[in-house]
Amino acid sequence: MVNLVRAELRKLLSLPTAWVGLVLGTLVAPVIVLLNAPYTRRAIADGTLTDLSDLGLRDLGIGLIGPMVLGVIVVSSEYTSTARDAPGARQLTATLIAVPHRLRLLGAKTTALVLVVAAQAAVTTAATLALTQLLHGAHAPLPAPARIAAAILYWTLTALLAYAITLITRNGIVPLTLLIINSSVVSVSYLLTKVTDLASYLPDIVGAQMFIRGTDFPVEVPPMTAGLVMTAWIVALLAVGAVLFQRRDA
Amino acid sequence: MITIDRVNKTRSRTRILSDVTFEARPGRVTGFLGPNGAGKTSTLRILLGLDRPQSGTALICGRPYRELDRPLTTVGALLDGSGAHRARTARAHLRWVAASNGLPDSRADEVLEAVGLTGDARKRAGRFSLGMSRRLGLATALLGDPAVLVLDEPVNGLDPAGIRWIRGFLRDSAEQGRTVLLSSHLMGELAEIADDVVVIHKGRVVTHGGLAEVTGAHRTLEDAFFALTATEAGGPW
Amino acid sequence: MNTARAELRKLLTLPSLRRTALLTWAATVLLTYAYASAESHGEPLGDDAALAPLGYTQAGFLVLGVLAATSEYQEGDQIRTTVLAMPRRLPLQVAKALALAALTLPVAAATAATSTLPADGATWTPAATAYLTLTTVLAAAVATVVRSAVPAAILLLGLYFVAGPLLRAGSTASAAYLPDTAALDPSHGAVATIAWTLAALTLAALTFRYRDA
Repeated sequence: MVNLVRAELRKLLSLPTAWVGLVLGTLVAPVIVLLNAPYTRRAIADGTLTDLSDLGLRDLGIGLIGPMVLGVIVVSSEYTSTARDAPGARQLTATLIAVPHRLRLLGAKTTALVLVVAAQAAVTTAATLALTQLLHGAHAPLPAPARIAAAILYWTLTALLAYAITLITRNGIVPLTLLIINSSVVSVSYLLTKVTDLASYLPDIVGAQMFIRGTDFPVEVPPMTAGLVMTAWIVALLAVGAVLFQRRDA
Repeated sequence: MITIDRVNKTRSRTRILSDVTFEARPGRVTGFLGPNGAGKTSTLRILLGLDRPQSGTALICGRPYRELDRPLTTVGALLDGSGAHRARTARAHLRWVAASNGLPDSRADEVLEAVGLTGDARKRAGRFSLGMSRRLGLATALLGDPAVLVLDEPVNGLDPAGIRWIRGFLRDSAEQGRTVLLSSHLMGELAEIADDVVVIHKGRVVTHGGLAEVTGAHRTLEDAFFALTATEAGGPW
Repeated sequence: MNTARAELRKLLTLPSLRRTALLTWAATVLLTYAYASAESHGEPLGDDAALAPLGYTQAGFLVLGVLAATSEYQEGDQIRTTVLAMPRRLPLQVAKALALAALTLPVAAATAATSTLPADGATWTPAATAYLTLTTVLAAAVATVVRSAVPAAILLLGLYFVAGPLLRAGSTASAAYLPDTAALDPSHGAVATIAWTLAALTLAALTFRYRDA
């Protein structure tokens, strides 16, 4: 199993697109904090920004494009055509010939993804919060360790969400489109919460309540429950993905 | 040892394989012969655990491929293309494959050298020519120094030097006691290296046996092949 | 003319384009309904409900453009056949853009109407149709340069849904220069959309002309 994880890590880290996801995801949030610093300062001084407890943690959301890209390409790179003259030839063939036991393979893939994304999340969260402290430390207290851990967990679960959907669709474009639109400033899930309260339990909305204290959630869910609901979504989607992966011809 | 026993496969209601049964034995090169679309690749994909048959078994050394531990140390396989992601370098590709089966990194450079790609190790797989892709695919198959080789149209796209090399390599492998199964539609090529021949046509094995036995009273393997597959109006097409 | 017909036929026979168009339209129906129902609950969702759903479903048009362009370079390397049959690069590139625009126009019109008409925004329908069509052509031009579907989609979606909103939020002055401002504010950003599309097309034509196929 250690060998398989090592192979999957290597495979992921030798893809140029993976580095796009890694660099983008790690840098976007800290850079935004830096760029927005003058506005944030002014807002604090004017008193228009009163709830400062989410400062920093809230900025992390924009970097989620990183884990989304990573989660998607871990799977989609297996399905892109490898040979100019053989449209049916895909990397998945080589992968399954090397590791025919499909569940073991998925286990290794999942582990590799979690390791990479959790490391990325830890780095970017540390950078974002450190910058926030440096720039606005006088007004914003450092969030409790549990909230920071929850933010890292949220990143990791987001990557797994992208990964599970791609396992089902076998195509990177669909999950990328869905997830990136949904990570825009006003997400579609957030719009849906205005239509039905049930939408509050969509994975991205409920998951954010693990570490965001803001009050614009129509249904307030305690952090622990929020984490459990988001995890349940991901476990369910992963299970569907795994069953399909196990059953389908390569 | 490869044992294929009554394998059936249907894809979107079309029968692709009907009761395909044959063996490939150690120390021999077995040629798997048939026209385009006869079911050669489908059979090999089932043998390699990539696709599932509706019924029947395909075993390597008595076990299904999916149950092999570190399978590359038992079986080396070459299918369409190189199997390497286009954006990855040849060496990066071989190294992840090696890691997945617990093989040392040094194997990557050894097999690159064996297939004559040492100078292209840092090139991205997407920039490889057809012949180079095939060599990279072959390098991947050799990583685990396997006792069984399964090759789908291995000479496709290779230059004369490559063809000559692979012919010698396969003969040597068989002489060292390895099991070699290769599919081809090039009969002249097969007649040169195969000890045993399995002929498949429209998803059925029409004959199998020693090269001389299959050729029988016909002048060449090619004549025998057309005699065997031209039973229906219109011939093999 | 033959070239444009050939290109149109090639696009029409791509199942992934049909699926994308259908999904995009269905998503627009869903979002239009969401906006309408939020409004009837007495809590409107902010932006102009006639155009807001299109702000999201323009993603479908970006994907449409990406798939149309990258289909040439994936699976089986169709581009070889294309340039062997039609070796003059620039006319081919023009024909490609025209064919894609012609194919997109009805889809864009249907999608735009779905969003604008229920919200009494009929006056915006032609502008929205033109915007979505141009966006598709722009996406195809960018994807022609990138030549690979997933990276092209990451780039475009990242620009339209992550970088764009951030830049607009950071400085209102930048809005006039971004290609997607017109999605929500056609009177303001139309020039930028047209300019960006032409620029992307020029870049695509040049790379297509000078790069090995």
